Amino acid sequence: MSDLSFELPQEVEETRKRARDFALREFTNELIEHFDETEEYPNEIRKKVFDAGFITIENPWNMLVTMEEFCRVDPGIGLSTLASVFGSEILLLYGTDEQKEKYLYPTLKGEKISAVAVTEPGAGSDVAGISSRIEKTEKGWMLNGHKMFITNGTVADHYYLLARSAPPPSKEKRHHGLTLAIVERRWNGVNPVKLKGKLGMRATDTAEITFENVAVPNENIVGEEGKGFYIIMTFFNISRVYVAAQSVGTAQGILDLLLEYLAEKPASFREMEYVQFALAEISALIEAARNITYKAATKVFSFNPDPALTSMAKYYAAEIANQVANTAFKIVGIEASGSKLEKLYRDAKITEIWEGTSEIEKLVISRMILKKIQEVK
Amino acid sequence: MIEQFAKEELENVAQKIEKEGISKDIRKRLAELGLLAATLPQSENGSGIDRRSFSLVLMTIAKYSASVAYFTYLQNTLVNEILSKAQKRKEEIIKIASGESTGTLVHDLNLNFPQEVYIKGYELYGSNSFVILPDADLHLVLARSESPSYLIMANPVKIEKKKPLGFRAISFGVASYKQTIEEDRIILKDADSLLKSHFFDTSDQIAAIALGMSESAVEKAIEYSKERKAFESYLYEFQPISAVLTDMKGRIEEMKKALMLSEVVQDRILLKLNALELSRLASRVALQIHGGYGYLEDLGVERYYRDSMFLTMLSSNYIKDIKTVSKEIISPDAFKI
Ligand SMILES: Cc1cc2nc3c(=O)[nH]c(=O)nc-3n(C[C@H](O)[C@H](O)[C@H](O)COP(=O)(O)OP(=O)(O)OC[C@H]3O[C@@H](n4cnc5c(N)ncnc54)[C@H](O)[C@@H]3O)c2cc1C
Repeated sequence: MSDLSFELPQEVEETRKRARDFALREFTNELIEHFDETEEYPNEIRKKVFDAGFITIENPWNMLVTMEEFCRVDPGIGLSTLASVFGSEILLLYGTDEQKEKYLYPTLKGEKISAVAVTEPGAGSDVAGISSRIEKTEKGWMLNGHKMFITNGTVADHYYLLARSAPPPSKEKRHHGLTLAIVERRWNGVNPVKLKGKLGMRATDTAEITFENVAVPNENIVGEEGKGFYIIMTFFNISRVYVAAQSVGTAQGILDLLLEYLAEKPASFREMEYVQFALAEISALIEAARNITYKAATKVFSFNPDPALTSMAKYYAAEIANQVANTAFKIVGIEASGSKLEKLYRDAKITEIWEGTSEIEKLVISRMILKKIQEVK
Repeated sequence: MIEQFAKEELENVAQKIEKEGISKDIRKRLAELGLLAATLPQSENGSGIDRRSFSLVLMTIAKYSASVAYFTYLQNTLVNEILSKAQKRKEEIIKIASGESTGTLVHDLNLNFPQEVYIKGYELYGSNSFVILPDADLHLVLARSESPSYLIMANPVKIEKKKPLGFRAISFGVASYKQTIEEDRIILKDADSLLKSHFFDTSDQIAAIALGMSESAVEKAIEYSKERKAFESYLYEFQPISAVLTDMKGRIEEMKKALMLSEVVQDRILLKLNALELSRLASRVALQIHGGYGYLEDLGVERYYRDSMFLTMLSSNYIKDIKTVSKEIISPDAFKI
């Protein structure tokens, strides 16, 4: 995006259009219902998404608008397919050539699926509170631990996994001594179990995974030993922009459905000021969420991230997606029952939880702002 | 007694009820407790409970199973009370009151646009796409004709069940009708206005269910905040978490008091709208405090999120509700443009 033009380059707009057409064509109502009902992973659609060339990290704007347009039609299938390369930025930024060769490039070609395994049963928001251990052995490393709610957990070929490699040096430095490793799902001692019964996003694969005496070779350690926390936080600063785009897409999808509903009804219904005001409010909120998302993305994609802005985008867009769903329901009422609107309402809620809950985003924002006060002093 | 029943017989099986539906045994227990014709006079086979006490009953049951509370409301208020108002059909009331059979009310009062169930002469035809408990034994169907509307006892020729957003223990879906009606199956003429006023007048019962659900969601979140730690502190130690839970608790208590005081129909409708909004908010807060665990059905928290929205959709149409009240308390010309 050039300075304050508020226009995306033509190439990105073309990708947006292609992504919308693709989603409208491929994410049929039958398939959306099928994956929502069965909670299966949409592997065939994932392959089509690759074949159509939507997954690329050469121009991240293309991925961002694709995320938005896919989620506008169906967040479950949309996110599931695009997140098959989840965590790739970690290797892009910190991986060795060998790691990129073995894990990153096949993933970006759609031959492998990746996942990010940070959360544990006892620690989610508190990343430094994880208790999985990765310890040095004579030949390499040994991993023991338990991960929770891992997206792609049962379908991924490999996980980018955070574990403790050394005790924290002090209470204040709990985030020291964490190491990031690439762990393959098919290795001995790795046991993923699919978690079913999610409120929404049921086309995404979610798993609980235990690791028992898993041997990890030296070459699978990513970045510096003990510096895993920083790597993960850098990654979150990127991935949160995509979650913001997921929220914007979901909110836009809700507005689309509301407009469809209004178009089918007699004009007198749309002429009610109450309905018109609700529509205006929804549209304004989505526009604001999109703008803050793009602003944060501009910084991230130009290697000049602003973590406070990224967290603002993630928090605000998630809030808006949920608010918009509520307002739309107020107008459509029981007629929304069993409709796509109802599904988007269930899907939207996750945006306030994953990749840092809204509360954690607020903590990041305020810490950065308070830092500025200190600088002034 | 009701608290004991709900705690002992519903609490532990609430998730199972959601999966398997409201069994005949539960219906029998509701009947034994006199809840399926609770507000009807004893002379009409009811329990003669006053409406405030019945609201408390619904609130108590909703704390443990919102589906069972709504089912009780449906049988007592939307079916038996209407049968009683029609001053007919003692035998149907008895069957529903005993839990032997079930009833439902098929209407479009909360919809933006009327459903297409019509009566021409004695021919009933058409369908309604938003029927709660379409597999009920008895359907009280609001059917429109050229002039008055009628309430008719009917049986659908076809039902098509859909997975509802909430109250998954109760079926939901489309019911289609095509039958010749006998005279004595028409139980009300000009049914529209009577049903509308009954629907509005019992808004406080919906508020009661919403408050029971809110209370339960918030209590669950408080409990969890005392078990779960993040950053080496219990969740309740974090100011925003304690603040939002305390605020929710306070609002629920205030609304419970209002429930006991609501005398006129406008107050009841507004109370319903506020209680429904509170239940949606409380369920969102509860889910959020449970983090990732809240998003999965295992802990039974996401259920509040679905149920509170579904209750809103079933029992309220915001535009119609606000219009009714504003015409009453502001001016007959209010909410026009
Ligand atoms: C469908 C799904 C997919 C997921 N995918 C992945 C994945 O691929 N990889 C992965 O690693 N994780 C994944 N997660 C986990 C997700 O990131 C965590 O659920 C999230 O970070 C919250 O952690 P938690 O669930 O442990 O909640 P907790 O950390 O226990 O938090 C509970 C509540 O307390 C609040 N809270 C915590 N600390 C504070 C504080 N200091 N002040 C105020 N409030 C606070 C939180 O905001 C939350 O509301 C997924 C989760 C879900 C549901």
